[in-house]
Amino acid sequence: MQFLKVFTFFFFYFPPSGPGILTRTLLNAGVRVVALENNSAFLPNLQSLENSLDGQLKVIYGDFFRLDPLVTGTLKPPAMCSDKLFETIGVEAVPWSADVPVRVFGIVPQIKERIILWRLLFALYECSSIYKYGRVELNVFVSEKEYKVLTAKAGDARAYQTLSILWQVGCEIQLLHMEPWSSFLTNLKNRGLAVPKSMRLPNDHLCLVRLTPRQNLFTGVLKPTNSSTFIFLVKQCLAKPTYRLTDRLNSWSLDSDGKLLRELEIPKNTATRDLYPEDYRRLFEALQNSNMFTETWFHDEVLHSIRKINL
Amino acid sequence: TVNKVELAPLVNDKYQDPLWKGGAPSPAEEQPAPRGRAESPAQLSGWVEKSKKEMRARQLKVERKLSIAASQLAVEGQAKAKAKGKAKAKAKANKTKAQRPWRAPEDRKSNHRKILQQMVQSSLECFLFLQQPEEAEKFLLMYHNSRAKRHLLNVDAYNIVMRSWARKGCLQHVHRLFSMLESTGLQPSLDSYAAVLECMGRSQVPAIAIRRCVKQLKNNGFVVDELFQKCLFEEDEKEKVLRAIRTIQPKYQLPPPPSSKTCKSSLLQAFYSRKTMMPYPKMDFSVQELREHFQQQLEMELDSTVTIESVESTKPLTPQAIKAVKSGGKELGESGGCTSGGKGGCSPVGTWGEMQDPLCLPLSQVLNTVSPQGESLAVLARDLSTKVYNRYVTQRKLRSRQLEKVQEVYKDYIRLLARDSRVGVYLPREYWEKLVVEAGFGPSLNLKDCSWPYVILMRLGMHLLELLVQAVRVPRNILNPRLEPRLIPVLYHIYSFRSTWQIGLIKPHPVFSQLVSDAAETTLTFNSSVIPMLCPPVPWTSPHFGAFVLNDTKLMRFVDGAVQHQLLLEQCPLVNLHPVLDALNQLGNCAWKINQPVLDIIISIFNDKGNEKLDIPPPISEAPRPPAAPGNSTNGNKSHKHELLLCKKKAAEMHSLRMDALYKLSIANYVRDKVFWFPHNMDFRGRTYPCPPYFNHLGNDVTRAILLFAEGRPLGPKGLDWLKIHLINLTGLKKNNALRERLEYANEIMEEILDSADHPLTGRKWWMNTDEPWQALACCMEIAKASRSPDPAAYVSHFPVHQDGSCNGLQHYAALGRDLIGAMSVNLMPCGVPQDVYSVVAQQVEEFRKKDAEQGVKVAQVLQGFISRKVVKQTVMTVVYGVTRYGGRLQMEKRLKEIEFPEEYLWEASRYLVKQVFNSIKEMFSATRDIQNWLTESAKLIAQSGQTVEWVTPLGLPIVQPYYRSKSTLLPPPTLCCRKPDTVKQKNAFPPNFIHSLDSTHMMLTALHCLRSGLTFVSVHDCYWTHALTVDAMNQICRQQFVALHSEKILQDLSKFMVEKYCSPDREMRALWQSKLMEQLSNVPKTGRSSGPEHFGDEGREVGSGPQHR
Repeated sequence: MQFLKVFTFFFFYFPPSGPGILTRTLLNAGVRVVALENNSAFLPNLQSLENSLDGQLKVIYGDFFRLDPLVTGTLKPPAMCSDKLFETIGVEAVPWSADVPVRVFGIVPQIKERIILWRLLFALYECSSIYKYGRVELNVFVSEKEYKVLTAKAGDARAYQTLSILWQVGCEIQLLHMEPWSSFLTNLKNRGLAVPKSMRLPNDHLCLVRLTPRQNLFTGVLKPTNSSTFIFLVKQCLAKPTYRLTDRLNSWSLDSDGKLLRELEIPKNTATRDLYPEDYRRLFEALQNSNMFTETWFHDEVLHSIRKINL
Repeated sequence: TVNKVELAPLVNDKYQDPLWKGGAPSPAEEQPAPRGRAESPAQLSGWVEKSKKEMRARQLKVERKLSIAASQLAVEGQAKAKAKGKAKAKAKANKTKAQRPWRAPEDRKSNHRKILQQMVQSSLECFLFLQQPEEAEKFLLMYHNSRAKRHLLNVDAYNIVMRSWARKGCLQHVHRLFSMLESTGLQPSLDSYAAVLECMGRSQVPAIAIRRCVKQLKNNGFVVDELFQKCLFEEDEKEKVLRAIRTIQPKYQLPPPPSSKTCKSSLLQAFYSRKTMMPYPKMDFSVQELREHFQQQLEMELDSTVTIESVESTKPLTPQAIKAVKSGGKELGESGGCTSGGKGGCSPVGTWGEMQDPLCLPLSQVLNTVSPQGESLAVLARDLSTKVYNRYVTQRKLRSRQLEKVQEVYKDYIRLLARDSRVGVYLPREYWEKLVVEAGFGPSLNLKDCSWPYVILMRLGMHLLELLVQAVRVPRNILNPRLEPRLIPVLYHIYSFRSTWQIGLIKPHPVFSQLVSDAAETTLTFNSSVIPMLCPPVPWTSPHFGAFVLNDTKLMRFVDGAVQHQLLLEQCPLVNLHPVLDALNQLGNCAWKINQPVLDIIISIFNDKGNEKLDIPPPISEAPRPPAAPGNSTNGNKSHKHELLLCKKKAAEMHSLRMDALYKLSIANYVRDKVFWFPHNMDFRGRTYPCPPYFNHLGNDVTRAILLFAEGRPLGPKGLDWLKIHLINLTGLKKNNALRERLEYANEIMEEILDSADHPLTGRKWWMNTDEPWQALACCMEIAKASRSPDPAAYVSHFPVHQDGSCNGLQHYAALGRDLIGAMSVNLMPCGVPQDVYSVVAQQVEEFRKKDAEQGVKVAQVLQGFISRKVVKQTVMTVVYGVTRYGGRLQMEKRLKEIEFPEEYLWEASRYLVKQVFNSIKEMFSATRDIQNWLTESAKLIAQSGQTVEWVTPLGLPIVQPYYRSKSTLLPPPTLCCRKPDTVKQKNAFPPNFIHSLDSTHMMLTALHCLRSGLTFVSVHDCYWTHALTVDAMNQICRQQFVALHSEKILQDLSKFMVEKYCSPDREMRALWQSKLMEQLSNVPKTGRSSGPEHFGDEGREVGSGPQHR
């Protein structure tokens, strides 16, 4: 695992029953590691390790995938607030254009994989939660089927989904490693790593994927303030992936007789699932520039959907 | 009839063709938007005209294709050899393709086939209705000639086509079909012969041919008489068949009708015994008056919609709004205008009007009623197609001359109810049946089954909605002239995401919603079935016939797509349904009128900003305003958005509440000077409901307060006291006091009562602080009037007095299990003071808590002083309905939060309380839990064996639980009929459903016996209403019937029925689950100490001290 060498910082999400191999690998590579442990049973062990290492390891009781939950009121650990976490580890926010401030390493719990991917996505596009501190790089294990979705090509009936478009627009996605399920200790009891069944997509591996937010994500028309409209647009388009894009836009009064699509040189009979992520971005930018959103109901709808999206 | 040639000029629109000829519909090609931009407003209206035409043409096509569409659905896979190219244009083609060949276990396969057959049949029925035998035959041949699909044709399919030829007198065609039928190896049925004979009668063939036909009929094991006894005829079919028969047997006489049977149920022996029968109670109307009422009702139903004044006072329009509305109104007119053509109900077959009418009106209604917040696609589609279906049925009734006959029979039927005529001793159903028999000739009153399968309804609705979405447009700049003019769709699709599901919604464009609300519509348009009936309902005589004159009403309401109980009702011998039908007729025959003073007060508050405390929803203008946007900090932005969202949500809620109240009040206002009736039907458990949905006596406090019995009765000696007790019951005070004490209390506060009655809005407003303020106010007014009359006992009161069952479900359980202590606490046992089960449980829980607290249990100590009746009430009430610990804990948590229990102990405390509540109930109702467990466990095993839970109520009503595992409501269709039962729901719902069915049985028994004693009786489930004069008599009947019901061996009978049903002896008991099921079902739980309900004395459901108000 050579790629680990150059880091300043790590958050390390600890798999519930993990033996600590990954932590040790990282420590051996000589980087500073902050370990977030969500299981209080493993804390004592880690803490003794922390004490023996003279500041190279910092252990915090918390759950990386339960940062900034939507509920209001006081947070009970392991749920925690990202502001507090970053304060504790002493990392300041950097501009979006700056280099990666923090690298995160971990395993996405299988049971909530989808939800977590969505929540990270919203945080990314809103520049909230961890992304408030800059382009945080994620190195996470996800199931193979989700990896296939994240990297799906336009037109792929099985894998190309809203999630594919949004992640591809938002991040560079790099596959670092694939490991068959058999090399993991699966723990059915607390469902930590139970291998989920998948009918449509192959799912024989865990994939270590690096998700680096694109530097130019917000350099154009797309901004954290209007990104929810973009997400909404993509979601609505992909709700019926076989429908023609022009029909959809027409019915939402966003495009009159395909003028916009002609200008964007998108063929008339394109189905919504055939459009590439960058084209969705161009489409959004064109709509945003022509003030189409503000004067239609679309604006209201976006507002309305915020709550549902975040759940 | 309409044919393609006539249509051609209309369809010859250049925007039109691509839609139907060139593959999938493409709005881009057909939308006239680019032209719209250049057009002046005048030209725009021209466009409107044009699009109106377009719509009509399209609708016509749709109507014609209805059946084709249906057939397409029925065909599995893509391989339908559709001869007509145009039909391929159906948007559905791709969906059909998506359907994968479906594999199911053998036993379910037949069910699956049945639904497909039904689809084919309803398509053929449509052709029959449209009088297009050629098309019908083409369609039939398509299936007949395909080996793979032929099995979807049954005898009935061939019969329908034969009938449509027979109606034209084309004997050759009929013969050809007959031989086709025989060639497939199917047995011709009685209906097949009826069709052949009808055709022969029509075309006057020589006697020898007829003789041959009759001979063959006899060879097939039928008798000529059966033709007239079993077949259902339309129009003049019966006469024609008779003519054919008389050609060969000139002296042939119609067979005498089968003698009517009477119900043998032991519970109703006295009720049905001819000896004790009394004449049916009369209504205070003459024959002439009732006939006029009937005429009004009939006209209303023929129009199919009613437009009534809204009670909302209109706000003045701004000039700007008026202008916009004027131009936009045309847009609305576009859809509204379509209705003009086809009002004439009896117009000749296939005229323009008749063809477009069934579609146009429902379509325009969608536009007028779709809420700004949008509506679920599936719900809208179903409503839309149900409306179309209902109009189709209406047209069929007209066409088959069924209506004429109903009119004729009803005219005589009314004599049973009118005060100025004498007929013998009959029940409404019996009298109606007798009159039908006497009427002899003509069409049958029951239509041949023509219901469209759920899948067809959904697909049709979706298709129509799609048309609307594509066709209806509005100029974008209508409200804001500065925008460039462009036509934009009025409706659009949007999706809402719920975890992994997405829900399709249809929303109106905000411009359109604004337009509609600016237009300040002063009228409301309803389906005629929404308005209470203006004449006594047509009595239920079969599961298909009763209630409204024309509107198709089902005896049993169905949950989407479930057809099982309909089948069950059809298979059930009619005589077993008699008690249920009679009870429904009895409930429906109660006449109502409006309490005008109360209605006026309510409307005045409604128009004066409403009042949330009094349950009068305020107008949308009172909604909270969203706060102004704060600075741009991202955090503030988020909370601001959240606030905006909350405001929107609140506004949406207020809108729907307001509209609901508006509908109720407007309907009440519409019938304010009339006498009206609520026809009743039931849900699948036999619980009865009035059919009109918005305004009925099951409604909230407001609606109940404005209803009075149309019939008045003197108060009698105890009536005034009952009114006072009723008032105290409505206030929710004095829950734990005897009736005598409640009465005393009422007398003490007489001054307040009179003040409320005299100065409801300006006085001390005592009534406003009660549980049910509006009913309390109405009651105050009645008491004031009665007590001030010279002789209160003679005062004629129309006021309904309610008697509530106290925790009714537990009463039934206690009686089933013969639980003494439990019975006492729910007032089944004599006891000085009315017992309150909630207080008893609360006491018990408190005792447990004290013990635990002494032993140092922390939660128990914290809970000190928090346990009250209120905290435990909801959980106790819902225990009967199978609430789990999980749900119970949530309830407790809510209650504890309300009384400001320390939050850190909330979870623990609520869990502790639920445990204790369950324990105390277990102690008090020892047998109850056993029975519940037995029911649950039995249901679980039944559902696991792949069957649905069925049972029969003591009155003979068959019941089946309609819970299935289901995925999508739309795709793929075949799963609808052969879904597996949903084990969890089947099992959890069985105990409550069973208790509900007992409850409804008790209600029906009470209703029937009240009829025999001449009492007015209606029910809101377990709350019974009657005149003040007859409260005591009703209570007595109620008690007697409760005892009688529970003297039956209910559980044993249930066990016996289920063993027979699910463990048939011919099936070998080889599998383990079968013997397990058998053991479970036959192992009825032991009941409590006392041996029979007599032990409860005839104080069962103790009334001396009250079935008390909740």
